[in-house]
Amino acid sequence: MAASSAPKMPGQPGYVNPRGIPQAPFIEVVEDYVRNRDQVQSVLQSFQEMLSKYKYMEMSTLRRAAGLQEKIPDIQNTLDSVLFLDSKRNVDESTLTTTYELNDTLYAKANISPSDTVYLWLGANVMLEYPIAEATDLLTSKLHAAKESLKTCQEDLEFLRENITTVEVNTARVYNWDVQQRREEKQLVR
Amino acid sequence: MSLQMLPPGQETPDVQVSWEDQQRINGFSKLNSRLSELEDQYRQKQDENEYLEDIATEIELVDEDEVVQYKIGNTFYWLKQSEVVERLEKQTDIAAAELNDLEIKVRSIKDEMDELKTVLYKKFGNAINLER
Repeated sequence: MAASSAPKMPGQPGYVNPRGIPQAPFIEVVEDYVRNRDQVQSVLQSFQEMLSKYKYMEMSTLRRAAGLQEKIPDIQNTLDSVLFLDSKRNVDESTLTTTYELNDTLYAKANISPSDTVYLWLGANVMLEYPIAEATDLLTSKLHAAKESLKTCQEDLEFLRENITTVEVNTARVYNWDVQQRREEKQLVR
Repeated sequence: MSLQMLPPGQETPDVQVSWEDQQRINGFSKLNSRLSELEDQYRQKQDENEYLEDIATEIELVDEDEVVQYKIGNTFYWLKQSEVVERLEKQTDIAAAELNDLEIKVRSIKDEMDELKTVLYKKFGNAINLER
């Protein structure tokens, strides 16, 4: 959209955030924006459209953030388990007794003999065997990546919130301006 | 939290909103949503902390050499009470530090919001509503 011009700073008119979300226009003086009362309806409507676009983006970003917020503890749990197995492997050679979830709400007992490798479920019906150190690295980097994208999600959400507020304030101001104008007109008629 | 729409028939001074004001309003709005997020996290951590405290007294009743099932991820590991105590202590320390961290963050956001509130109410008075 604004690819031809130089990148704008946040707060400057026409700024676009790193994920391509445009900044809402700010109204300094209402009269510059709405010349006469006939334009009020169309201006308010354009704000309404802007608002629903921002709200839509907010919704989809919220969904993405929720997904990540679910994923992060999962990765953390797996990482914790691998680290635990690793710590046990170095200390003693005896087997570990566990109660593990065989299925939802169904637990069974298992003995785990010390092992240098673990199996990681990679998704899409693929499981791979990894040396413990490599598994730790992989999970750590996955965890880091998930946390980073959650951070960008939150940044976007805050940026969206700011712009939604701008548009809401714009709407209120144009609306108030209209009410004020109408009142003045009435007084003139009297 | 919003800039009020004029109810018909009410006299209001014509307030000009400058770009700085708009940024303050946006900042407030942003901090407000950040605050609710952090407060949620804070409540969760508080619960976690309480559970850990409960378990700390509970586990003292178990003999040191007895085996307890300790959950890591989705699996319960059969560990000696002494080892579980050690692990729980570590967990408690981490949770307490995180809780403290959240508390500091919440407080600094509240301070920042109060500052913005003072400035914005001074300028806009009844035309703006910054309560949650």
